Amino acid sequence: MIYYLRRQVFFARALNITLLQFNGRGEVMLLGIDVGGTFTDAVLVDSGAVYAQAKRPTTHGEVLRGILDALDAVLDGADVTQIERVVISSTIVTNALTEGKTQPVFLAVMTGPGMNVKGCFPVEPYLVSGYVDHRGKIAARTEFNKHYGLLDRQSGVTVAAVSGKFAVRNPENEYVLAHELKKSGYKKVFLGSELSGELNFIRRTNSAYFAAAVDKTFEAFGKQVEWALKERSITAPVQILKADGGTLPLEAALKQPVEAVFTGPAASVLGIEALGAPQGKSISLDVGGTTTDIAFWDNGEPLLAKKGAMIGRYPTAVRSFHMRSVGIGGDSAITKLPQGFKVGPERAGRAAALGGTAPTLADALIVLRLADFGDREASVNAIGTLCHDGETTEAAAQAILDAALDVIENAIKEMLHEWSIQPVYTVSDVISGSDFGPQQLVGVGGGAPGLIHALGKRMGLPVIIPPGGMVANAIGAALARPTVAASLRADTTEGYYLIPESGKRERLPKRFNMQAAEEILSAWLHDKAGGWQMEGNETEVISREYFRTVHGYYDTGEIIYLRMQLKPGILYKITGREVAF
Amino acid sequence: MKQANLGLIFFPAFDWMISPGHPERQERLLYTRDQLTEEGLFDRPEIREYRLRMAEVNDLQRPHVGVPSIAKLITPAHLASAGGCLTAADAVMSGEVKRAFALVRPPGHHAMRIVHGIRGFCTINIEAVMVEYLRSRYGIKKIAVVDTDVHHGDGSQDVFYHDPNVLYISFHQDGRTLYPGTGFPNEAGSPAAWGYNLNLPLLPGSGDKEIHRLFDGLIKPVLDDFEPELIINSAGQDNHFSDPLASMSVTAHGYAALADKLKADIAVLEGGYSIEAALPYVNTGIILAMAEMDYSKVIEPDIRALRTPDPRCMTRVEQLIDQVGTIWRSRHEVGKMLLDKCGNKWQRKKGIYYDEEGIREEQLETAHYCTKCSGWMSIDTNARGTRYGDQSAYVVCLHRDTCADCQKAAYDDALRAKQSCAYKYILLQHPDTGVVETI
Ligand SMILES: [Zn+2]
Ligand SMILES: [Zn+2]
Ligand SMILES: [Zn+2]
Repeated sequence: MIYYLRRQVFFARALNITLLQFNGRGEVMLLGIDVGGTFTDAVLVDSGAVYAQAKRPTTHGEVLRGILDALDAVLDGADVTQIERVVISSTIVTNALTEGKTQPVFLAVMTGPGMNVKGCFPVEPYLVSGYVDHRGKIAARTEFNKHYGLLDRQSGVTVAAVSGKFAVRNPENEYVLAHELKKSGYKKVFLGSELSGELNFIRRTNSAYFAAAVDKTFEAFGKQVEWALKERSITAPVQILKADGGTLPLEAALKQPVEAVFTGPAASVLGIEALGAPQGKSISLDVGGTTTDIAFWDNGEPLLAKKGAMIGRYPTAVRSFHMRSVGIGGDSAITKLPQGFKVGPERAGRAAALGGTAPTLADALIVLRLADFGDREASVNAIGTLCHDGETTEAAAQAILDAALDVIENAIKEMLHEWSIQPVYTVSDVISGSDFGPQQLVGVGGGAPGLIHALGKRMGLPVIIPPGGMVANAIGAALARPTVAASLRADTTEGYYLIPESGKRERLPKRFNMQAAEEILSAWLHDKAGGWQMEGNETEVISREYFRTVHGYYDTGEIIYLRMQLKPGILYKITGREVAF
Repeated sequence: MKQANLGLIFFPAFDWMISPGHPERQERLLYTRDQLTEEGLFDRPEIREYRLRMAEVNDLQRPHVGVPSIAKLITPAHLASAGGCLTAADAVMSGEVKRAFALVRPPGHHAMRIVHGIRGFCTINIEAVMVEYLRSRYGIKKIAVVDTDVHHGDGSQDVFYHDPNVLYISFHQDGRTLYPGTGFPNEAGSPAAWGYNLNLPLLPGSGDKEIHRLFDGLIKPVLDDFEPELIINSAGQDNHFSDPLASMSVTAHGYAALADKLKADIAVLEGGYSIEAALPYVNTGIILAMAEMDYSKVIEPDIRALRTPDPRCMTRVEQLIDQVGTIWRSRHEVGKMLLDKCGNKWQRKKGIYYDEEGIREEQLETAHYCTKCSGWMSIDTNARGTRYGDQSAYVVCLHRDTCADCQKAAYDDALRAKQSCAYKYILLQHPDTGVVETI
């Protein structure tokens, strides 16, 4: 009966989604803001096209002013009441982490038996007794009376992170510990099992730790954004971009602020998708001033990395795209070596052609007539100063270009290799293989055209340069879809199923199977999205596993593991506008 | 690229089983995968995970001859698990990793030189495939194989029985109490390789203390004496106290500490069927030990179920150290004496039962000796009840260094067998290339 009811809910939701979903013509106004390291971009998308776009310097120390500047530039004359949604992508969390501007965190872990976790986390954890085995059975409960000082909060430490091995199979021990910590005065306690439903205790623990560490910074940022928008009379709901290209309502993001790390590259990937997702197997290159972001695409969808992102040297459960940043961009500095040149990773400032003092990669492109802006004469003179004995300016420019292309091509080769060697666990996967044979290159960003055409020639691949790539990041943010992922694990011998992201643990309905599991999880995802006033999306299965279990020689039941998400990506494609370099 | 301590080839073959309900089933490594993933071991800088490559049929035919052919007896899973061992070998030989662990299925140590079907869950002896690959590809000569599975690796014994350059050491539960019923000290190798096959049958109930005493008192000194270029560990895990198929008392910590002492260059998973209570912990322990990480915190939740071994277990260990130690120390003299006694030919008769398929095979194996080379071998095999009906074959096996005269003699012998019309197949094996000729 429960099963039947759930089906009903499922279908009703499915119907709702179609009604609520943005239609293909995109008849709403969307505002995207990308707060990058150098620039704050804003984009206003209306009726499937970029209505206004702006690029303003990011104001460090006072992010708000940059946001307001960019906002004012795009909102000029627009009817702000028509704005349906605002999405922010920001380096604020990334910066807080790299600059060490984090708050102290009390980290308590329940490891049970296994690997020694010394050195696995950014801080040495308090080791708490109690553990869960791989089937989700509580093997031991926490003996609070044996842990002197566990519940004595240090003054100044207001957040805690709690994580237990196999807590995604049974979060009870985590709940009890979190409850006790809250009682002893911690304002917020982040749980590993709530940040990711997937196995990997170390990654979940690091995610929980970093979430706690950036909580204050992120909360302050959220308040500034809300204030800025209110200041400009924008009342639309605010969402935050995540590293996997999905968005979360600000309110939900406050519960897992670590998800807002690495959103810059994610926004760029989504921007490319919005401007015409590359078909077939493609490699996109977003060429900025100092870096080039490389991502892989399969039939219009960017590929996600198989493992979570690294923060510093710590692996986390934060999902992100399979991408890499290399230190090559239009403003890259050129170092003359006894033989040849080195390009990047330092930035030289603006090109000589634009009045800069030192030659840049862009100047080399101008000399080679692969780019055409500014004062070509100045570029020729600047590159001329770098020539080796007897080398013509053209030859030097070509050697500089080749050096830059070497760096990019090597990174692509490494990424291809990484993708091809990902381990597989079934015979059929070994046979089918996972080689990624790129069919084309897609270039966006200011420095893209000349550089990527040259790269395409070298790699023997056709090149596509979609227009409008200058503010791809903000476009990507504006059009990003809300998303949420969750897992469900059922062990029929135990008679219950668990959705670790919510701690929801319920008795199994009759006639439970994979299809029923998909319906339950799909309904839960839509419930969750509904609760956040997120527009519904299609749900999709990320991974599923099914095993019959045997005890001794007897069939005892089934294990079903399922992971689904509201599909990330963009709401619809738009036509970009050409922008003068 | 910095060298990692351990290359890990994890291949649980989630879509392969022998039959439903069989211990060698899809989810055998499911909980192990869960444990290793949950521990975060695949992210450790000490460990590099590899994607396996498929082996070629010729790789399998270096140690094996299949009747009617290897290709007709295997599934792609066998090429995958053997391929996992080759991947491990390459990872170690290239220097990318210090040592490697092929945590793969299906297993192999009950598969013999001649293959008619599946026996003891095995069709292809993946360690033997790896040993012959290491020789062909990298020119390695002296290899030690230490089998820590609870069952006697009768397949490995069979393949290496004539080879003085492979030292095969197996400890296992006494064959009088467990499948396959072989593995006694007197099975010490053919005359040309006497003393290079060391069997150490333990009494049921033996545990950590017993196997460590055996290692320290015998296995370690013998290995030091042999000076192999590489050590391979057939890392079965069914000596664990919770294993449903055997009756020993070894713990995850005992296995990990043994891996730490053995310092195998390459370990290969064999048996182990306590998929919930043992495998997740034993594998975690072995991986940590091989990766030179702390394994002291690997303790099974149900460690209280562990019983103290009967004192007779240790008495047996001391006897073995004495008896098998003597075999090892006297191997040169005894080997020479045996060779002198048998002349230019040594024969053994074997009755082999394939438990999985109910095949009964009769073999007459003849080692032909030569003063200039390692000689050659001929095997007369008759098998009843294979999936291809009753089979008969005459198999001639060359060695890597078989001289021209012996090669001619071997071919002549094969032709004589063909003219006799007594066999369905006449097959000739080239161990270096894995080519099996049909005469
Ligand atoms: Zn053994
Ligand atoms: Zn075994
Ligand atoms: Zn000869």
